[in-house]
Amino acid sequence: MARNWGKKMKQLMTKTMDLPQDVMMDLPRITMIGQLHIYIENHRGLLAFTDSEVRLMLKNGQLLIKGTAFVIKTILPEEIMLEGKIDKVYFINE
Amino acid sequence: MKNQWTNYYTGYVKVKAYGRGAERLINMLTRRGLHIWDVKRVGSESLIFHMDFRDIPKLRQVMRKSDCKVKFMQGKGVPFLLKRVMKNSGFLAGLIAFLLCIFVLSNMVWGIDVQGAKPATEHAIRKELDKMGVKIGKVQFFVDDVDTIQRKLSDRIGALTWVGVELKGTTYHFRVVEKRQPKEIEKTSPQNLVASKKAIITDLFVKKGQSIVNVNDYVGKGQLLVSGVIGKEDKPEIVSAQGVIKGKTWYKAEVKVPLKTKFSVLNGNETSKHYLKMSGFSLPIWGFKDPGYEKQEKETTVRPFHFLQWELPISYKVVTLRSKDDIVRSYTKEEAIKEGKKMARADLQKLLDEEDEIVGEKILHESIENGKVKLSIHYQVIEDIAIGQPIIQGD
Repeated sequence: MARNWGKKMKQLMTKTMDLPQDVMMDLPRITMIGQLHIYIENHRGLLAFTDSEVRLMLKNGQLLIKGTAFVIKTILPEEIMLEGKIDKVYFINE
Repeated sequence: MKNQWTNYYTGYVKVKAYGRGAERLINMLTRRGLHIWDVKRVGSESLIFHMDFRDIPKLRQVMRKSDCKVKFMQGKGVPFLLKRVMKNSGFLAGLIAFLLCIFVLSNMVWGIDVQGAKPATEHAIRKELDKMGVKIGKVQFFVDDVDTIQRKLSDRIGALTWVGVELKGTTYHFRVVEKRQPKEIEKTSPQNLVASKKAIITDLFVKKGQSIVNVNDYVGKGQLLVSGVIGKEDKPEIVSAQGVIKGKTWYKAEVKVPLKTKFSVLNGNETSKHYLKMSGFSLPIWGFKDPGYEKQEKETTVRPFHFLQWELPISYKVVTLRSKDDIVRSYTKEEAIKEGKKMARADLQKLLDEEDEIVGEKILHESIENGKVKLSIHYQVIEDIAIGQPIIQGD
């Protein structure tokens, strides 16, 4: 109950103060350049990586990216830049 | 994100990770702050990624906790390149040695070419060059420069009127002009002998012709001395009059001798400084000390380095500093007069032939003006006064 209350407070704050939501709520910020690049900030780690599928851990749930010829251009603790041909991006909520 | 382009200079490695949980390995590495890029999946159980080679100790620490294995596939970037170059340093050394060889050979003397000289003169020139050290196989820096060779040759070999020295690449070309001794022109044309200047005849020696004057006669300029017309009056014969007529002539000389003269004299102290010169900038390589001469004369020689036929922008410069002393020479009046006489006599000797003789000198006038002794001296000289004058025959 108390946790829920905190979450609601945060949401209210972001709405009233017009703050970016990814900063306040630890949501991933995903930038895509056509199908070529996908740039994800605020991830929590790599779960699986193959040529055609990348699974990333998020704070809540996972992010699944499907496509072909994936190469991780850079990876930092909270950022990842993926290159290849991106077809689909799924959010998997537990 | 980090700058990627510096990775090439710091060096990086290509790593293959295989076994289960390769993704976990990457997570662990990134959490430790390692920079990882270009991750690729190869096969079902292995990944290839790139990382900074300075982070390898950190990778080892992580590997202990991980259950997959890594293999270093390739090192890239400058440190690895250098390592490979060192490994193949034999090639590099060979290349440098080769260039050095060509460089040294390009700066050697490879030919001496003498043109326009008779065999005897050519032999003399070659011998003289040998003495100077201009030989095939010598390095050009240790040989005198072109102007010096030219000067020395024309000083030492009398038979040369002019010698042109040219250094073309590695060959010295000598263009020689020899002295041609003028042949005595036989005076066969009819002539009289007349006086070239006024004189008193002291000696007569007539080879051909009729002498008109006697010893102790006073003759004026142009006066007939020996006539080319001989024989009887009604049947004259015209010959080329020849002979030596010595006469006493007079010269007047004026000299000025300053009582005090300032001279700059080299006192023998000298130092050389050696430089490598690169387009305006001179890098000293030997002789850094300033000798601290009060007054000095500076001489600069620049010699360019050659590579094959090209002149390199680098040259070898030698600056020679010679110490100079100022000397004030002062004469007393007597000394000045003596010196003045000597000077005047030497000047006169230059005007006269070798056979001519100065028989008397007399100071006509002496005075001191503005610290200078002024002398006018009268000389008596015995010289040959006869010159030929062609006889123009009427019809």
